[in-house]
Amino acid sequence: MIQLHNVTMSYQREVSALDGISLRIPKGDFVFLTGPSGAGKSTLLKLLYGALTPSRGQILIDGQNLMRLKPSQLPYLRRTIGVVFQDFKLLPNRTVLENVAITLEVLGWGKKDIGKKVYHILKQMGLEHKVSATPLRLSGGEQQRVALARALVNDPKILLADEPTGNLDDENKAHILSIFKEANIRGTTVVVATHDQRLIENSHKRVIVLEKGHILDESNVPQ
Amino acid sequence: MRKATFWMNPMSRNKQAKRPKLSGDGYAGGAKYFFARALTNIRQNFFINIVTIGTITLALLIIALFLLVFVNLEGVAEDWSKRVQVTAYFDQEPASQEVAALKAKISALPGTEKVDYISKDEALKRFRVRLKGQDSLLEGVSADVLPASLEISLKRGSRGGEAVEMYVASLKRIPGIGEVQYGEEWVKRFTTFMNFMRLVGALLGGFLLLAVVFIVSNTIKLTIYSRKDELEILGLVGATRFFIKAPYVIEGMLQGAAGGLFALLTLFAFYLGFLHNAGNFLSFNPAANGLSFLPLPHVLGIFLGGVGLGFLGSITSLKRFVTS
Ligand SMILES: Nc1ncnc2c1ncn2[C@@H]1O[C@H](COP(=O)(O)OP(=O)(O)O)[C@@H](O)[C@H]1O
Ligand SMILES: [Mg+2]
Repeated sequence: MIQLHNVTMSYQREVSALDGISLRIPKGDFVFLTGPSGAGKSTLLKLLYGALTPSRGQILIDGQNLMRLKPSQLPYLRRTIGVVFQDFKLLPNRTVLENVAITLEVLGWGKKDIGKKVYHILKQMGLEHKVSATPLRLSGGEQQRVALARALVNDPKILLADEPTGNLDDENKAHILSIFKEANIRGTTVVVATHDQRLIENSHKRVIVLEKGHILDESNVPQ
Repeated sequence: MRKATFWMNPMSRNKQAKRPKLSGDGYAGGAKYFFARALTNIRQNFFINIVTIGTITLALLIIALFLLVFVNLEGVAEDWSKRVQVTAYFDQEPASQEVAALKAKISALPGTEKVDYISKDEALKRFRVRLKGQDSLLEGVSADVLPASLEISLKRGSRGGEAVEMYVASLKRIPGIGEVQYGEEWVKRFTTFMNFMRLVGALLGGFLLLAVVFIVSNTIKLTIYSRKDELEILGLVGATRFFIKAPYVIEGMLQGAAGGLFALLTLFAFYLGFLHNAGNFLSFNPAANGLSFLPLPHVLGIFLGGVGLGFLGSITSLKRFVTS
């Protein structure tokens, strides 16, 4: 469960990217975070995986208060959160396999187990024929799926995705959405930041609308 | 090209390992992983590693050359200071019992290293050796012309200007000792010169060391900066700081070790090539053949200095890029 109490985030004084946000995302939920560019979607996601600390307010993840988290404990929180970054953050000089394997290497897994697990997830993503390619040789949709594989390979409790369908065609969008839904069915709480209205309309999920750092509207679409 | 067959085993495709084994037992397994990671990093970033190792090599080579010159200068100084010799001359050739008694008394003085009795005959013999080939000069020179003497070498600590004066004063108090010579002016000048050289050496060496630390840590900073994306991503997927840093610190130490080794090898090649017989100008003793190589502690020091530079350089650079 993700809880925000009165969270304010200011990069500079006076201007707040987020202004007194309170919200609650239950375990196993699937939520879209939407709103115009500059509304604060990315900022909210960064707060959730500890890349930023709020200027004011409290953030709780599974009852753990991020403000009280020691820096040395942050890695252990991040191991339970899979993140798909807007710019993918794939390593260009490593293969697809190696890029996805990073998540498991960090946990100290052995090479063999990593190989099996990574191959399995890449197969689910339809990328098993690209394991030895480097990211720059992949299409945008394929890169997106590698980033997804890296985020999902350790079955995270929470998946955060920032504009995951940015430049994708409809077919790729549908594919990505189905992967989100599958992960959600297996128990992962999914939070997707997007300004892509068609993606939201097709999915029938809860939507939180942000504008200028405020929650403008919240709609619960019955599943 | 890449070996990636181990996961292709069809038996394991659908079965996921429920409880994955950790990559080894405790620290040994971790160390193995970090070492492998460091080697892979070096291979994947070969060019920048070459640049770094080259920089460390050059920097250490300069230090090593400096040390080589300095160590040899010290050697020459040692050589020269051995000639700070006190000589007591006799008007008459003393009897051998008398010589033995004097030698015993002088040996008992603090500061005495060695006492040698030079009889008139021996003094003549030496004189002849020195004037070899110029026999005409020796005509008419008999043993009587040269005085018998006691030649006293001093211990290290007593070779300085004031120490020699004090020594000579106590020497003169021994009955039977007459005229004493020790080249006061020369001793003073030599001591001043050597102290000056040591000061200059320490200053130069200090500046050199600072420059080397600065250059090497900046080069390593560049190599780490070029991989800041990787450091960031590792942090984002939940790597601990130790896990992120360890391979880079190992890499830095390997670079330092390689740099140290290449510097020493290059220095040795220089040495074999021409330095070892190019140093006669430093030594006034024609028997000494050029420069000597660095002693073992210095060699080890340069190597370990390289490793230390790599360690410190990477630790301090990582601090910048591995936050939270
Ligand atoms: N690193 C930053 N430094 C300063 N201001 C920032 C930074 N990142 C975002 N902002 C500002 O915060 C606001 C929210 O940005 P962001 O969270 O990226 O919005 P969104 O993802 O919804 O487009 C914007 O006004 C943006 O200019
Ligand atoms: Mg954004």
